[in-house]
Amino acid sequence: MSAEPVAAPTSNWRRYFGWNTDHKVIGVQYMVTTFLFFLLGGLLAVLIRTELARPGQDLVDGTQFNRLFTNHGSLMIFLWIIPVLAGFGNYLIPLMIGAKDMAFPRLNALSYWLIPPAGILMIVSFFVGAADTGWTAYVPLSISAPDGQTLWALSIVLLGVSSILGGINFIATVVTMRAEGLTFGRLPLFVWGMLATALLMVVATPVLSAGLVLVAMDRIAGTLFFSVGVGGDPILWQNLFWFYSHPAVYIMVLPAMGIVSEILPVFARKPIFGYKAIAASSMAIAILGMLVWAHHMFASGMDPRLRIPYMITSMIIAVPTGVKIFSWLGTIWDGKLRFTTPMLFALGFISMFLIGGITGIFLASIPVDLHVTDTYFVVAHLHFVLFGGSVSAVYAGLYYWFPKITGRMYDERLGKAHFWMNFIGTNLAYLPMFLVGLLGMPRRVADYAPEFTSLNFLASIGAFILAISTVPFLYNAIVSWATGPKAEANPWRARTLEWQTTSPPPAHNFPVPPHVTGGPYDYGEQAPSTSLAPAPAAGK
Amino acid sequence: MNPRRTVTLLILTAVLIGLGVAVALTVNLMPEEASRQAQMVDGLFRGLMGVATVIFLGVEGALLYAVLRFRRRRGDETDGLAVHGNNALEAIWIAIPALIVIVISFASFRVLIASGASEPQPLVVEVVGRQFVWEFRYPEADVVSSELHLPLNRQVRFAISSDDVIHSLWIPVFRVKQDATPGRVAEMVITPTRAGRYPIRCAEFCGAAHTTMTSEVVVESAEEFAAWLQAQQVAGMSGGAGQAGRQLFTQYGCSACHALADAGARGTVGPSLDGIGTTAASRVPGLDARAYIEQSILDPHAFVAEGFPSGVMPPSFGERLSQEQLRALIDYLLSQ
Repeated sequence: MSAEPVAAPTSNWRRYFGWNTDHKVIGVQYMVTTFLFFLLGGLLAVLIRTELARPGQDLVDGTQFNRLFTNHGSLMIFLWIIPVLAGFGNYLIPLMIGAKDMAFPRLNALSYWLIPPAGILMIVSFFVGAADTGWTAYVPLSISAPDGQTLWALSIVLLGVSSILGGINFIATVVTMRAEGLTFGRLPLFVWGMLATALLMVVATPVLSAGLVLVAMDRIAGTLFFSVGVGGDPILWQNLFWFYSHPAVYIMVLPAMGIVSEILPVFARKPIFGYKAIAASSMAIAILGMLVWAHHMFASGMDPRLRIPYMITSMIIAVPTGVKIFSWLGTIWDGKLRFTTPMLFALGFISMFLIGGITGIFLASIPVDLHVTDTYFVVAHLHFVLFGGSVSAVYAGLYYWFPKITGRMYDERLGKAHFWMNFIGTNLAYLPMFLVGLLGMPRRVADYAPEFTSLNFLASIGAFILAISTVPFLYNAIVSWATGPKAEANPWRARTLEWQTTSPPPAHNFPVPPHVTGGPYDYGEQAPSTSLAPAPAAGK
Repeated sequence: MNPRRTVTLLILTAVLIGLGVAVALTVNLMPEEASRQAQMVDGLFRGLMGVATVIFLGVEGALLYAVLRFRRRRGDETDGLAVHGNNALEAIWIAIPALIVIVISFASFRVLIASGASEPQPLVVEVVGRQFVWEFRYPEADVVSSELHLPLNRQVRFAISSDDVIHSLWIPVFRVKQDATPGRVAEMVITPTRAGRYPIRCAEFCGAAHTTMTSEVVVESAEEFAAWLQAQQVAGMSGGAGQAGRQLFTQYGCSACHALADAGARGTVGPSLDGIGTTAASRVPGLDARAYIEQSILDPHAFVAEGFPSGVMPPSFGERLSQEQLRALIDYLLSQ
């Protein structure tokens, strides 16, 4: 690509509030909408941690508590982490592969516009007796739950349709719309991560949607899919649910790992270490990730012998995950590290995701799992994966691409304050949960024995710090978007294609179709000069 | 690699492994060990802690070192070296973790098999989970109890099922957990090795009062256990109406949600039943005390006491209680 970037489009904030088929508008719609659900889910978390700060039930009653953790989990998973990462995919994939837009722009807009009604359904369910059976909605409990459970199921079905359509679009776009010269061996690692994610969305999501339809049928139409004694089986639901919901962990983690793989080389000023191994490990995790679901069911009534193969596949996932972590260390090793806010969040991701990963080995080991499953140990593990991991990467990505998306720079000092509050809050909130789970506190309880008080109190303090940490972020994002200093096209001197156009990019992204002649991470001295133009200032 | 770096790396690895071994041997994060299985699980857990310590400190240490050591110097606008990878290194960091997880899988498999190994003359206990109470049945002695009593050093084979939704029997000091699923009978095997009184929890979320679905296990000598069984048999046969009603009140889980001093119940999910014999008559116009209590048991949502949520109490007691049991329970409540 060689032409001068054309001027940015006249900024018109109104386009974000209506039907628009520009993938960049849709990407921003995804990110902003889902962030609102994140704030709502976070508010529920604050209520949960306030109740649990001390033993005894003093803030909410048992049923209200059950509604809180059910909708906290559902909002965070289905209306925040999964769709916000789809938002990154929408905004970035066409730019990163040098395309004008997604393969199916109208389908893309539809994928987004399914989200607000789904969110409204979930919020409305609060006023008709909200779902109170956990985000896992195990039958038969969820069959007899209040009316909100039906709205909850319909909301998740809508979000599933959105996710499936998005996945199809991502695959079609990456396969057919790459710029000339952008071979699969030169694909940015975020795009590799999204491709693996899209495969999971397309293969696994329909199974959950089908299961939810069965639950809704049992509730509304009086069918008996899960009723014991007439041929139904509660374990069927667990298989359908986890066949999606374990891969869903990778839907929430693979794009996050992709974001980290984009950011580290830029701020280490070095090529990514082991490009092929990282790309291959994304695909390996996606495929293995579909073969481990029953490790959530080691204590269920399923045939005990079936547990062994699931233990082995679950253990093996540690290998491709380790490849990524070691490769990231190799990337920053001997680099010239710049500690910008996105870099801090990316490094924070590695340090906290590692804890989630290692404790995953404990949960994969059947005898240990039989003690810790369904306890706070699991709560701690999943939050280190999804909050210390995925959400850290989302923040890293929001700061990193903020100049590209908004055309303005964010405030570094506020960004760093946000990072430290987030890092300290995450560790303070979730580390004590490992201990309290090992000692005997089950998950999803509104009260606990007095000996668990101090650990729970620490966790609550951590949660409050996390809640407060969103204030500097929101202030920074809003004020910088409105009045921040203008951003250059490529403030980070990055080599991937999205930085080789204006900030924000013009309507069809590139004034002339880019022609790619090198890899996306050719940083470093003695880097080939034949890479993307304009080349960053390299050499001595 | 130059010899000095090799030596440094070897020393660091040795120190890390030493720390891992130290953690495995000294750090205990678990509650008391009260079963043969707990000793095996804890051995495995300590081994995993040792491995986890080496990996955790190794990776976090390398990360921290890189952050401190490879910080960009002020004014340095140049790039680092164009290193794209190292095949030998990448092969090592695929092979070593693969080896570690194979060893862990093998060790886990061995513990799993050993902890389920059968011992002579096991005690059979049938467990039924109900919203929101555990019921323990001793079929050989024809005893039913809401508290679990077990003899020391004799293997127990639990047959676990559920009457309504999914529950999970968790006894933390035994390090075991097994879901109670309607329509299935799942087995769980433990051998208690330490006398004492320990908590039992429901670990699978089971509805409004899941939090209160707790009980206790009493591990005692074979003689004490036999005496307890006998006392239960006598109480079951000779108790008067009050005794039977009190037992039903506990057995069917009323005590999980309602307070009642006579039955030692302190539940707070539903209204307190202390004095219900006198207040029942004035609750609903047209219903006398007996009719009101009967309606409240069989159709709990017809009238919900002020300040308490509707839809919490299971409406299934009519199917579970026999006519005689229902009458005994109502008689007992009327006497309160």
